[in-house]
Amino acid sequence: MQSMPAAISVTGLIKRYGDHQVVDGVDLEVQQGEVFAFLGKNGAGKTTTTEILEGYRTRDGGNVSVIGEDPATAGAEWRAKLGIVLQESRPLGALTVKETLRLYAAYFPNPHTVDDVVRLVGLEEQINQRAGRLSGGQVRRLDVGIALIGRPELVFLDEPTTGFDPEARRQFWDVISGLRDLGTTVFLTTHYMDEAQVLADRVAVLRDGKIAALGTPAELQALRGDVEIRFTLPPGLELAALPALSSQPRLTGGEVRVETTAPTADLAVLCSWAEARGLELPALTVERPTLEDVFLAISGETT
Amino acid sequence: MNMLVEQVRADLLAFSRRPETLFFTVFLPVIFLVLFEAIFGGQSVTLAGGDVIAQSYLQVPAFMVMGVISASFVALSITVVNRRETGIFKRVRGTPAPAWLLIAGQVVTSLVIALLMVIVMLALGSFAYGVRVEIGHLPWLVASVLVGAIAFSCLGMMLAALTPSTEAAPPLANVVVLPLYFISGVFVPVESLPTWLGNIAALLPVAPFVKVATWAYVPATTMPWRSLGLLIAWGAIGLIIASWRFRWTPRRD
Repeated sequence: MQSMPAAISVTGLIKRYGDHQVVDGVDLEVQQGEVFAFLGKNGAGKTTTTEILEGYRTRDGGNVSVIGEDPATAGAEWRAKLGIVLQESRPLGALTVKETLRLYAAYFPNPHTVDDVVRLVGLEEQINQRAGRLSGGQVRRLDVGIALIGRPELVFLDEPTTGFDPEARRQFWDVISGLRDLGTTVFLTTHYMDEAQVLADRVAVLRDGKIAALGTPAELQALRGDVEIRFTLPPGLELAALPALSSQPRLTGGEVRVETTAPTADLAVLCSWAEARGLELPALTVERPTLEDVFLAISGETT
Repeated sequence: MNMLVEQVRADLLAFSRRPETLFFTVFLPVIFLVLFEAIFGGQSVTLAGGDVIAQSYLQVPAFMVMGVISASFVALSITVVNRRETGIFKRVRGTPAPAWLLIAGQVVTSLVIALLMVIVMLALGSFAYGVRVEIGHLPWLVASVLVGAIAFSCLGMMLAALTPSTEAAPPLANVVVLPLYFISGVFVPVESLPTWLGNIAALLPVAPFVKVATWAYVPATTMPWRSLGLLIAWGAIGLIIASWRFRWTPRRD
């Protein structure tokens, strides 16, 4: 079967600032119509990589192709196929939603109508409100509207929901899901794993400028399939006093954690040990790690 | 072309909705003219050639020039820095819109506002203070205002390119322009300045602009070609430095 050309194809991407190699040999491929999430903590190189793909920054090495062209040399025709939401940018506060979208529509050869885009991002009620009077979540949706006005094949969203309350985030997710239904390719950077889990077909985790993990959310979760037994250490006891288990327990903030592939056996040992001493194990739980835990482990953050 | 019309339309709308820029650009020069007329309107000035004229003939074109500079230099530089630092320029550079559009949008917008200032000042001078431009001199006035507005737009772009932040933009623009108004015949007739100060001012961009515009109101026997040339030279310097230092992205990038 002949597959469609990839929307984004990157091999061996390198970017240096002085002596510091911010992006250190990144390879990735994003298929057409895919929602691809790019994760990493602050400073991992997400925005730098994204801005190289968008054509804002030059690179120091590697090959990059974004919808068939090298962003470093591509021109206006290529930019007409992109929609870009920058990490830090605000629309002009003095213009209304409608006026803003009308202006951006004039930049593109074959734009959507303003009304269609307003509906797509759910700003019907705010259409005549000035951007300066919108809430943070509404401004971000207007930002996405601006990115969509030119009928893009590929949309870049750089940390679109940072600083949102849960309600605003959920509304925003609906907008992105709507894009997927339109067949638009979405390249999303975020440092929220739950966002990637809800929205993304595939996730790449960036750590110190390198891809530390790449796969579907389910595949990433399987990377740390261990079950974790957790309980609060009873007062007056040391970690060393616990019975031998299939793996070494860890103590974080008074909470004992045991990562195990044999939860039943370990629980039996723990419980009979506790019962024999008349101890209760407070807050005893057995959990599968969430994708958040997996992400934190891969991206190098401590839990 | 449609792109430019939309751009100018949006820029003008945005301009008209910012009370602070509207006040400083449009109303302040008008308020100044009204106050100066109330205080010095009845006085006469003896020109270098010995002719005696009402001071109003110098004040009306002087504050017209102030209005044009407010629009093309002060408001323009503040807006450009603001658009750059809020990421709006960067964002538009990510669309197919050509780079010149953003510059042209700003310059044409400031030209429109400058033209509005000229009309307001012409009308005010003519109807309130009886200071008229002969019909035959109107083309000169329009041309000199146009040249001045473009030259100061270039200087405004230069200032924007050298201004580090949104906060610094308004004070910087005013620090540059206010002292120049004092020594260039806007607030004080050049005739009453010490010679050395007048000589310095004559080389800076505001005095030549005032001189060129005043000629339409008070035609001397000699045409102010030298001043016009100086004005154009300043515009060229502004343009060169602006294109050398100009950036689309915020400082922090």
